[in-house]
Amino acid sequence: MRVMELSVARTAAGTEITPIGRFDAHECENFKEICESVLETTADVRVHLAAVDFIDSAGLAELVRLMRRTREGGGDTVLVRPSTAVRVILELTRLDAAFEVEWADDTLLA
Amino acid sequence: MTLEDYRWWTHTPLDEVELSVVIPAYNEAERILPTIGALASHLSAGRRHWELIVADDGSTDDTVALVEDLGLANLRVLGTEANMGKGAAVRRGVLSARGDWILFCDADQSTPIEQYETLLCALVESGAGVAIGSRAHLDAESQRRTAGRRLFSAGLRALVRTLIDTEVGDTQCGFKLFTREAGRTLCWVQRMDGFSFDLELLHLASTYDFGVVEVPVRWIDAPGSTVDPVKVSAAMLADLARIRINDVLGRYGRERPTVPTGPALHRSWLVDRAESPASAGAAGRVLEMAPGRSDESVA
Repeated sequence: MRVMELSVARTAAGTEITPIGRFDAHECENFKEICESVLETTADVRVHLAAVDFIDSAGLAELVRLMRRTREGGGDTVLVRPSTAVRVILELTRLDAAFEVEWADDTLLA
Repeated sequence: MTLEDYRWWTHTPLDEVELSVVIPAYNEAERILPTIGALASHLSAGRRHWELIVADDGSTDDTVALVEDLGLANLRVLGTEANMGKGAAVRRGVLSARGDWILFCDADQSTPIEQYETLLCALVESGAGVAIGSRAHLDAESQRRTAGRRLFSAGLRALVRTLIDTEVGDTQCGFKLFTREAGRTLCWVQRMDGFSFDLELLHLASTYDFGVVEVPVRWIDAPGSTVDPVKVSAAMLADLARIRINDVLGRYGRERPTVPTGPALHRSWLVDRAESPASAGAAGRVLEMAPGRSDESVA
């Protein structure tokens, strides 16, 4: 049963994907489809994670997969303002070092 | 929860804790870190004094190494060389717990940790010794179960209630909260090491007059579960019979036993396990690994 909402918006900076809720294995297929659609037109993706209250290994694997695809296309995946829960999970799994992340307390560079 | 609260918890060893969380784990390398993250980020709010105990059940993957490597100040890993069963893992964790409240929850976060406060409120308000998360309301609402499955589940519930003296609708939900006294007493007497240990704990709670309050919780089915409902039901029936026999033979007693503490607890527990027919052939050397240490000591 899916419980995560997912929105997509195209901006000058790239495409913004905003998941809301619990990002677990149930959500991966839908997330993957959305990402494939996005990657047809851009290799720069920003994933806003402020409203994700939990992410499991399957969800993390999808983010890693997205990161690899965007880098193969000459772009990148930026994780934007992860919630505290997601930030903790990223740190424990040491994925915080693998991704480009805009933390909530960062000053955005122009 | 602020990040500072989390950092404080990860770096500040706590001498006293109000809450102990026990996660029984068997080959959970893939799931354990996100679950620890979810628990830590929620429970550290307000600088709550709590500890996390991962009671490993003889994992053959990297579960123990992954958790040990975190080096968190209030996280302990209880290892064992042999796979003894979920019930054995929970028992070791609960008997090692220091908190006034002891929560055991599954490694897959099927019940989100945010439900903890709901169970705690129910426990405090009711004065019970045990609060169990329950999915029974979900079964009642489901439209997709066939009439046959609903009948089967109802029959099983009726049998459970008859044989082990409980009114609980969902005995198997892996999200249960105990007062310290209830948790330690029940796990001390508990003889079952496998999946049906929940049934035994509930039976013992009734026997020793620890109230049980059932609390509807949100529950998310973890994909990849390999549980065969038919096999599990058959095993459950066998275990129900075993509990009944133990009861008739007086193995549980009628009065709450006094649970030893400190080294005496571990020595007498290890001796009891070695002599118990329930663990014959399954006893393993029990190891406790303290955070930041590489040596091992027998618990």
